[in-house]
Amino acid sequence: MVRLADLPDYEREHLLAKNMPPLGPATWVASEKPLAELRIALVTTAGLHFRDDPTFEFTDATFRPISNNENANDLIMSHSSVNFDRTGFAEDVNLVYPIDRFKELEARGTIGGLANVHYSFMGAGLMPAEYQHSASQLAGMLKKDRVDAVFLTPV
Amino acid sequence: MCAISYYLERDNIMTTGISLVRENAASMAPPRSLWVPFPLGRPLGVANDPDFQHRVIAAALKLFNSTDGPVLEDFPEDAPVQQTESPLACPVTFIKSATTATSWQERLGRELSTLKPWHDLGKRRRNGRTLTGVSNSSIDEIIQRLAAYLDTVTLPTDELVWFKHATEDAKNYYLEAITAQPDDQDPDNLHTIFWTQTLLADALVMLSEQLSSVQGLKQFARILVPRRAMDMRASFSSAD
Repeated sequence: MVRLADLPDYEREHLLAKNMPPLGPATWVASEKPLAELRIALVTTAGLHFRDDPTFEFTDATFRPISNNENANDLIMSHSSVNFDRTGFAEDVNLVYPIDRFKELEARGTIGGLANVHYSFMGAGLMPAEYQHSASQLAGMLKKDRVDAVFLTPV
Repeated sequence: MCAISYYLERDNIMTTGISLVRENAASMAPPRSLWVPFPLGRPLGVANDPDFQHRVIAAALKLFNSTDGPVLEDFPEDAPVQQTESPLACPVTFIKSATTATSWQERLGRELSTLKPWHDLGKRRRNGRTLTGVSNSSIDEIIQRLAAYLDTVTLPTDELVWFKHATEDAKNYYLEAITAQPDDQDPDNLHTIFWTQTLLADALVMLSEQLSSVQGLKQFARILVPRRAMDMRASFSSAD
């Protein structure tokens, strides 16, 4: 898992239906710094947020902020899909949102630092191009936070 | 994930990330992507295994060394398979047929009461962590309201958002109770127990089927019960 050959036909067909062509000409930002100097933000599409934050709609291209200083164990998930397992996330937030691992990398000097704010989208039910506006909005916020690079996790 | 990566890179933010479905990443071709052979919901592979998680992260960060792209690489390790040969030790015995209670309110209430001590235990073990609380309703209120829909043969058509969040809270509560004690638990086993042995699963399937027949709510009904749950229930019935 997730090797498509291991899945039932209907599951395989559902996932293959998400194959889409590239959104445009290839994009590529060359790394100009060593990893040890990169300031990194985490971005997940797992539909994470804190209890006081608005939940995600069933289809939703907006994003929620996750402060680097808040306790990630308080994060909950309002992802609309029921077709993935959440018990691992209940055991360990890092399984989906590896913030403790990145704080360890920062402490070891493996990476240059972490953003003040990380972010979560909720990846379900929309065509990829529908994230264009909010992703550009996010890019502006990341630049204000002096972020060099983003580490993305799905769910 | 692929779209966010594409648009951020277009706006001059360098990205790397994990892909759970290789075919999706291959088709959309985000700038840098590490495919991992892990179940959906587990992009870092193994819960509470920092060393394994660090190996996944290191492999994805290594993609920053590539001089051009798009680049899609495969993580070389599978997540460790549960070694136990015995079936999952579920702390709760779900007895759907032995009860004399007739209303959903009473039957679901009884089921919930058997789970509460285990949920409390599991929450303490996880240092207070729980995924419940999305609906802002207590588990008692959730179960009462779900049961009321079935007992009165009505549907939650005027509160779909609360209903969806409540079903997720209830499922999370049950699964957190079933996993109260630490174990290297196979998620397929957990979901098989939930979807074949609990009254709550019967209730959710029934409500989902009823909602699916309401005009305009077929899609909504699909985000209540996983596609694989119906397979699990069919296999369980035929094995009876």
